[in-house]
Amino acid sequence: MLKTVLIAESQANLRLSLCYLMERQGYRTIEVEDGAAVAERVAADAPDLVLIGVDMENRSGFDLCQSFRNDPACRAMKIIFVTSKARAVERDKGMSLGADAYITKPFANADLLATVKGVLGD
Amino acid sequence: MRIRRRILNSFLIAAVGVVAVVGGLVWHFAELAAASAAGDLQIKILMFGAVGLVALMALFAVLWSGLDRALMVPLQQLARSLRTSLHANPDHKLDPEVAAELGELSDAVENAVTALIKGRDHLDAAIADETRLYAAQKDRLEAVLRDLHEGVIICNLNHQVLLYNHRALELLHVSGELGLGRSLFQFTNRQPFLHALERLNNRLLDGRGEVRGLTAPFVATTSAGDVTLQCKMTLLTDDSHEPTSYVITFDDRTHELAELGRRDHLLHQATDGLRKPLANLRAAAEILNDDPPEEAALRNTFIQVVRDESHNLSAAMEDISTEFHDIITGHWPMTDIYSANLLNAAVRRLREEKAIEAVMTGLPCWLYGDSYTLLELLHFLTHAVQETTGAKTFDLEASGDDEIVYVDIIWTGTGVSETHLQGWLDERLDEALGGITVRGVLDRHRTDLWSSTEDVGRARIRLPLTGGMTEGNTVAESLPPRPEFYDFSLLNPDTHHEDLGSRLLKSQTYVVFDTETTGLNPSGGDEMISIAGVRVVNGRILTGESFSRLIHPGREIPKSSIRFHGITDDMVEDQPPASIILPEFRRYVDDAVLVAHNAAFDMKFLKLKEPATGVVFDNPVLDTLLLSVSLHDHIDSHSLDAIAERFGVTVDAETRHTALGDALVTASLFLKMLGLLEANGITTLDQAREAAEKMVAVRKMQEQF
Repeated sequence: MLKTVLIAESQANLRLSLCYLMERQGYRTIEVEDGAAVAERVAADAPDLVLIGVDMENRSGFDLCQSFRNDPACRAMKIIFVTSKARAVERDKGMSLGADAYITKPFANADLLATVKGVLGD
Repeated sequence: MRIRRRILNSFLIAAVGVVAVVGGLVWHFAELAAASAAGDLQIKILMFGAVGLVALMALFAVLWSGLDRALMVPLQQLARSLRTSLHANPDHKLDPEVAAELGELSDAVENAVTALIKGRDHLDAAIADETRLYAAQKDRLEAVLRDLHEGVIICNLNHQVLLYNHRALELLHVSGELGLGRSLFQFTNRQPFLHALERLNNRLLDGRGEVRGLTAPFVATTSAGDVTLQCKMTLLTDDSHEPTSYVITFDDRTHELAELGRRDHLLHQATDGLRKPLANLRAAAEILNDDPPEEAALRNTFIQVVRDESHNLSAAMEDISTEFHDIITGHWPMTDIYSANLLNAAVRRLREEKAIEAVMTGLPCWLYGDSYTLLELLHFLTHAVQETTGAKTFDLEASGDDEIVYVDIIWTGTGVSETHLQGWLDERLDEALGGITVRGVLDRHRTDLWSSTEDVGRARIRLPLTGGMTEGNTVAESLPPRPEFYDFSLLNPDTHHEDLGSRLLKSQTYVVFDTETTGLNPSGGDEMISIAGVRVVNGRILTGESFSRLIHPGREIPKSSIRFHGITDDMVEDQPPASIILPEFRRYVDDAVLVAHNAAFDMKFLKLKEPATGVVFDNPVLDTLLLSVSLHDHIDSHSLDAIAERFGVTVDAETRHTALGDALVTASLFLKMLGLLEANGITTLDQAREAAEKMVAVRKMQEQF
């Protein structure tokens, strides 16, 4: 079955690249720009993986990650931060809040793909 | 004159008496003559008598005037002349005529007056010299203080200003209250000063003053809050090391700190801000290079992205470099803080308010930051958690290593949502400096915080901070460990604890303890010189409830042992003997399980004191050395330091080899061991003791080879 990746990214130009990269790997993609819309789409589409930024309009990625991890329906969903928050303490926070991986911008596409595959077990 | 009057009076009385007696006699004889009928004899007697009496009175009058002129008047003049010499004119001389009348007396008086005046001149000259000297010194001191670029204020312990310099006046004149004898807090914000003073007092009490000095940097504001002061406080002590007053040197950092905020913002922009366009660019560029879309329209879109983002990058870069030029760099003063001091202060403040119970737990460590703003932050966060979750009891715990130290606020229940935390970031901290916000404190420490819920129904707020420099660590001397003791009877007291023995290890109350001794031979006259313990309950080290005492050993402390424990004869001089301390320790231990590293050694000392003190420690005992052997029997080294390294526990060199420091390290290792023991199926006290007993046999056998 086709796996679904939700891409929650505020930068349109990066969303474009992320979508293209995921689709080339054979994943179905959903794009979300606004933080507040992420939870709705997750509830509606139950994606296998969320690529999520920290700085998003209306709701931060940390906040979303924490609430997904507290929601039994989302326990199995994988979460990867893709963010410009690059300090050790922010990575620590992301991982402590239950993320599966933390990727800081800018990144090499190959590394991103390797991480996504590793997390999804593909 | 009074003397003159008195003498005159006496003279008059004497004269009247003599005249009366003579008059009486004359009258008597005249009566006798009348009786014998010699009429003209009577008249003769009366006439001679009257003439005699007049002559007698005249004689007295002449006598008095002679006496008066020869003695009374010169004496009076002498007195007047003395007054003149002493008070008006030192060169005044007694009228020579009068002096001649008084003879030797006047010479003696004159000599006395000369000597007195000379002495007085001498004293005046000496005082004038000293005054000049002091005035010169005062001028010099004033000049130094005046030319100092920093403000200087000296206060007594009631915070009354004893001295201030011109610069202090200049910096604080906006508040207008600076004056001698006035309270420091009429023109500054009280809390940071009190906190710095408390820290220095603690340092003095702990005896760390000699090592770390009695100076602490901190940041404060004026009471109006418009000037931010970077201060340094130095505690002044008297000969007996009692604090007497303190000196504050300070400078206005309002501008620099505002600049610092801008610089931080800019740096953030430069690092994080550039990541976004760079990410957009890189992803698109790599796609075009590695796996270009076949569709021309899509390919063109990616090319467009590359071009746009390159432009964005250049523009962002330009903005940052322009802004960077007009920023003056400064620094926010940070110091090494011992977590136990910070958390203790926070616990004390929280306890003052009845609604919250707080306990300090965990192994203290060093962190780097601004003590006062951190204290305010912890206070605020605990309150905010209480309001949000309704939790009333909290553990404050620090854990970590040289790199990073986590300060955790822990409670039973669920964590605080990120949404709530975000809402707190813009809250101003009540009494803190110039209305700094939670975010301000986090930014200043370049950190963030988050909340999480753990499986065991506990939740925490975690605040990561930079690890302290632990200045003592660099010179840590490695000392040989104590020889191992295997007398298992010491670990297995006669009394049975069947109910305790079957209880789960993790639900026991433990007292982890350590002793420092004059030497390694308990039976050969060595004595305890300090004992310390810390309670471990439900997997938490209750750091705030520790026991730590020095003991008078009743003998000299061998010089060779001092490098192990740092305790000298002077330090124990006024301390109570074991007969007083051990009953106290017994009460502290109560019915807890005793834990120590190489426990038989410490138990032997306690055992030998039983007859003298009457205090029996029959609690069950666990030995972390033996537990370590049973957990890692393939490893040879089971010294405290070696185990700490194996478990990744940072040992503070400053407190290592003190009874309390070692007890804390042992407690921390013991907690780690409990987890491993459980994983190995050892869950009760009896099982743990059995495992240790086996290891005694193994170690004894090994010794024979």
